[in-house]
Amino acid sequence: MRAQDLTQLTFNAIASHRLRSLLTVLGIAVGIAAVVLMTALGEGVRQFVMGEFTQFGTNIIAITPGKTSTFGVSGATVSSVRPLTTDDAVALLRVNSVEAVVPVVQGNARVEFGRKHRRTTVIGVGSDMPAVWQMGVEKGSFLPNDPFESSRSYAVLGSRMRSELFGDAGPISARIRIGGDRFRVIGVMESKGQMLGFDLDDTVFIPAGKATELFDREGVMEIDVIYSDQESADTVAEALKKVLLVRHGQEDFTIKTQEQMLSVLDSVLQLLTLGVAAIGGISLVVGAVGITTIMTIAVTERTAEIGLLCAIGAPRSQIGVLFLVESAMLGACGGVMGVGVAIALVFMLQWFVPTFPVALVWVYVAGACGMASVIGILAGLTPALKAAKMNPVDALRAN
Amino acid sequence: MHGRDALSMACGALASNWRRTALISLATAIGVSAVLILAALGEGANRYVLGQFESLGTNLLIVLPGRSETVGGPPPLLGETPRDLTIDDAYALLSDSSIKRVAPVIVGSAPVSTAAGLEREVNVYGTTDALLGIQRLAMEKGTFLPRSDPHRGASVCVLGIELARELFADDAAVGKWVRVGNTRFRVLGTLANSGVTVGVDFNDIAIIPVASAAALFNRESLFRILVETVSDADLDRAEQAIHRITASRHEGEDDVTVIAQDSVVKTLDRVLTTITIGVAAISAISLAVAGVLIMNVTLVSVAQRRTEIGLLKALGARIRDVRRLFLIEALMLAGIGAIVGLTVGLSAASAVAIIYPEFPIAVPAWSIALASTVAIVCGAVFGLMPANRAARLDPIKALSSN
Repeated sequence: MRAQDLTQLTFNAIASHRLRSLLTVLGIAVGIAAVVLMTALGEGVRQFVMGEFTQFGTNIIAITPGKTSTFGVSGATVSSVRPLTTDDAVALLRVNSVEAVVPVVQGNARVEFGRKHRRTTVIGVGSDMPAVWQMGVEKGSFLPNDPFESSRSYAVLGSRMRSELFGDAGPISARIRIGGDRFRVIGVMESKGQMLGFDLDDTVFIPAGKATELFDREGVMEIDVIYSDQESADTVAEALKKVLLVRHGQEDFTIKTQEQMLSVLDSVLQLLTLGVAAIGGISLVVGAVGITTIMTIAVTERTAEIGLLCAIGAPRSQIGVLFLVESAMLGACGGVMGVGVAIALVFMLQWFVPTFPVALVWVYVAGACGMASVIGILAGLTPALKAAKMNPVDALRAN
Repeated sequence: MHGRDALSMACGALASNWRRTALISLATAIGVSAVLILAALGEGANRYVLGQFESLGTNLLIVLPGRSETVGGPPPLLGETPRDLTIDDAYALLSDSSIKRVAPVIVGSAPVSTAAGLEREVNVYGTTDALLGIQRLAMEKGTFLPRSDPHRGASVCVLGIELARELFADDAAVGKWVRVGNTRFRVLGTLANSGVTVGVDFNDIAIIPVASAAALFNRESLFRILVETVSDADLDRAEQAIHRITASRHEGEDDVTVIAQDSVVKTLDRVLTTITIGVAAISAISLAVAGVLIMNVTLVSVAQRRTEIGLLKALGARIRDVRRLFLIEALMLAGIGAIVGLTVGLSAASAVAIIYPEFPIAVPAWSIALASTVAIVCGAVFGLMPANRAARLDPIKALSSN
């Protein structure tokens, strides 16, 4: 049989039962649309979360006290007999290709200006913080590059903190009290917004050395290192480890590169996307059963036609192929329809609710289309075999 | 037409095309069992997590130093504040009648080593004898920290089971001496395996008296105060009392955050239930697909039985009789599928329960209701169009078509 004839025959078979074919296609289309939408949703969430994490830049290495392999807050962040100190931070600055080092101490204190006061997060950092965390200074300047042990009592306000304490008044060079100690405001940060529920705007930044005094701590909670783009994260991490090993005598710290954290997070989120896609895929399986049902019915209905084809010399394989092409076509139509609907829905969502995290993954879209045809073929396999195995004499007599 | 006749006719039609019936029931069954199994897994995960929390007690309040005025922001978990939350602050809370007992906690990290030279860096918990009851810990061997003056640090410790195994292998740890930081402590006992816990891993931990921890880490401030109230009903009263007592001791400044374990559990429960319902709903889309298939097959059935319909109408069957006939057929397809799906779903859940007894899998009642209702409603809704089409057939045309 010529390919053209094959197509013609299949097309006629599908077109002659328009409603039936449409409903079968609809079954597959719903399944495909569900898979594409679910992956778009998963991908949207993934991009959103990754964006939240990469807003601090990607070439960061975080060093925390204590040797832990698990996520979460180690007891060492709170207190440790072998703390990480600001001296460690200074030493790390000498490592090749390290561009900036920021020790971090975080706490909670009451900030007072005149008669106004507000309890909030106080973060002790180094002068390089704006570069490392990619935050801009809106007014004034950031903390100066003082030595950690003798830094001046300067404070920089987050944008929300500024409006809460000062309203419309100018905060620069005002004197405030943080936990009873006096600080002079020298700058205001640009609004950075929420970061995973943590409001960086409702904070006060003070020198790390002052923060360790204020909170009566021996060490810092974290040291953030930013390195040159030219170096690989692993090389820098190795170099940092060497320096700290020499200073501490043992590995009582944990080095995590942003790359490692991101790749773990990324793989988790991709797995999640795959998971929701699989749940949406249940509909696809049901749709496939629909193709099998309709093809079984078609084979029974067209017994006489099969008998005739056999009688005029069509090989059995060709009869099988005829029905397989038909079911593959049903599947493919469903795929195209489903993808079309899903893409339309995604664009509509992006248009009407721009903040809603959806993003089409074209690999999944193409995969869904291909999968629909494959499902069509698989679903049509049993009926096609049944048709191919028919005895022409019986088949002709059936009618 | 009698109801019984209609039923037996539908049954006959389904039985004569058994292959088709089986396939469509399979489609519905896949949908129903998927909803059930996913809901059961979600419910199991929910129960597991809640069980972990509830094993810590529901009448528990956690007091953290520091308080943020950011609305809806996270609590100051790291607990560094200029003014210390002290051991005396913790015991002052006992003056309120709603508070049963308190355990002050200092947390840090330190290397724990044995005389044999084995060393492991672990989290160290400085606390008092009250922790055992408040956190519902169990001892494997020996005893917990003794009741003593919290200001005096004795040189005794309790080890988590994993830490004890790492340091002493199979030897008895009780009675041995370990070095935590640079101080020697005698092991009083080892904790029983607490399984996978939320938050603190009590298997890999060293517990020492709170005053010893204060000396070890050179800090006065507590990291947490765990407060157990007399009963669940006292939680609100206790929370107010904690703020009041702290403010009176901290020069009028109320600088602590109180987290109720109960509220954490409730939030978690809400989140997990929402996720479970969401997942079940997504899988319920497949039931709509099954509905489309039922419609399709019923349409085929109508087309194939035109003569029969014509005959029925010629014999005086009314429109609603014919409609009922095909609706029953569609509903039976959905019904069989739903029953098979429920059976498969429930047995799969029981199988999981037998194979993984520690995972509290449970098919929630709402998922059974959701799956079977959606399946039946889909059958009815999608069966209506073909049934109407059959009912409106002109008997003359239908009879002459063959």
